[in-house]
Amino acid sequence: MKKYFSIYKMTLLENIQYLSNLFFNFITFTLTIYIFLCLWQYMYKDPSNLIEGYDLTQMIWYVLITECMWYGNRNKSLMESMSNDIKSGSIAYNLNKPYSYLIFMIAKHFGEITLKFIFYFIISIILGFIFVGPLDNFAFAMLPLIIISMILGVIINSLIRIVISLLSFWIEDSTPFHWIYDKLILVIGTLFPVELFPLFLQPIIKCSPIFVVNYGPAKLFIDFSFASFRTIFVAQIIYVILIVILATIIYRKGVKKLNVNGG
Amino acid sequence: MLTVVKKEFKSCFLAVKYNIMREMLNPVTFVTNVLFMILNNASFIIQWLILYSLQDSIGGYSFKQVMLLWALAATTYGISHIIFHNAYRLSDLITDGKLDSYIVQPKNILLNVITSSTSISAIGDLLYGIIIAILIGLNWEEWLLFIFFSITGAIITTALAVISGSTSFFIIKGDMIASNVNNLLVHFSTYPEGIFNRTIKFIFYTIFPISYIVYMPIRIISKFNLGLTIIVSLVTILTIYLSFAIFNKGLKRYSSSNLMSARI
Repeated sequence: MKKYFSIYKMTLLENIQYLSNLFFNFITFTLTIYIFLCLWQYMYKDPSNLIEGYDLTQMIWYVLITECMWYGNRNKSLMESMSNDIKSGSIAYNLNKPYSYLIFMIAKHFGEITLKFIFYFIISIILGFIFVGPLDNFAFAMLPLIIISMILGVIINSLIRIVISLLSFWIEDSTPFHWIYDKLILVIGTLFPVELFPLFLQPIIKCSPIFVVNYGPAKLFIDFSFASFRTIFVAQIIYVILIVILATIIYRKGVKKLNVNGG
Repeated sequence: MLTVVKKEFKSCFLAVKYNIMREMLNPVTFVTNVLFMILNNASFIIQWLILYSLQDSIGGYSFKQVMLLWALAATTYGISHIIFHNAYRLSDLITDGKLDSYIVQPKNILLNVITSSTSISAIGDLLYGIIIAILIGLNWEEWLLFIFFSITGAIITTALAVISGSTSFFIIKGDMIASNVNNLLVHFSTYPEGIFNRTIKFIFYTIFPISYIVYMPIRIISKFNLGLTIIVSLVTILTIYLSFAIFNKGLKRYSSSNLMSARI
């Protein structure tokens, strides 16, 4: 594990050199949040209204946390680099090296997103205070548990992206599958909580990755309870185990299928 | 003059035709990209269905008008990225010093640069816009206006991409400005105008002219207004002029990276 930690550390240090890029991304993030603020302020004509049990402040904080988890985890390594490595055949250079390509990519990915995630988290907190003020009855003491759930959400999201990128072993370009996954998370998971969906859809969404990637951690942030933490945490652990098994199987099968021309 | 314009148009048409033919060499990837982009855009219908289950009108727009907004935004984006996809890469081409191969050709440099690549997924956007426009049942007058404003919108969007991309001639982080402008254009143009406050609306009608791409056209398609149509047309001409002027001014500051590359 030491070598993977070194990869993580090196990528992290490399990313510190490009901190200024993050500040430019901050503009798009802030204005995206601003659009959602305008939209929800319009929907809550009277701020004391409740929509499916959520007030305006909770709704905006929900959007902030889910968007922070989405923006903070967007990265070219898992979406483009992996697919390109497989497509171009340059993955062959990694296969004969004394490390696992999958863990190498995970370490690199986390090296790239650590700063980004912390940055978006801090920006989200600041924007939340500016736009709608603090959450009532926020469980400060439970913040470590909420952060654990958020980190697990990021890990599951990254693992799902790896599985999608590994499809490049069979289809040349896995990007369209990333779009669909992205939109699933964005449309169903970030703009509003699951409770706003029709009743018959809610159990399906609660079994989908949206529950463990976005909804769960954001729900804990705005309305923490031990019962929901237990449910979300157990679901997240099950998802991690299942996706790791799936990624390993797909990777092993894909590598056997790989056919690279010399050049 | 007319012959020159005709030649430039023919050259652009051929460039786009060959770009698409090149992308179609792999039919599976081509079809997947187009179909999945249609699905990708269609997923947002869920978002609006949920929001309209809470209220009948959002920002003064009915569900049908929001769908029209999406149809116009998608066709606008589609046309722009099919014909002028390289306008969105202009910043990188300038920063990497890759304009050399375009400069030496006896064609208009800006048109030559921006028409030299096509986004295949944008065909999905264009088709999605047309499908939605068919589903909401536009009449023939509305169709004519829809096609007209899709073209003006695509021109304004491309011109803004050229202007923001050309900032790379003048400043180092121009690529960041260009990517922010292009992202925000997509984000803002898919939400009803009425949810934004007066300050934001003022920005949309002045320095960041989204209103002329989608909001004003939606108003005109819903209820025809000749005055507003002329305004949109004038803004389109103005943005074309500005994009050429800024690009040509920036080009004088361009320095090659002596990079040996081939345009395939």
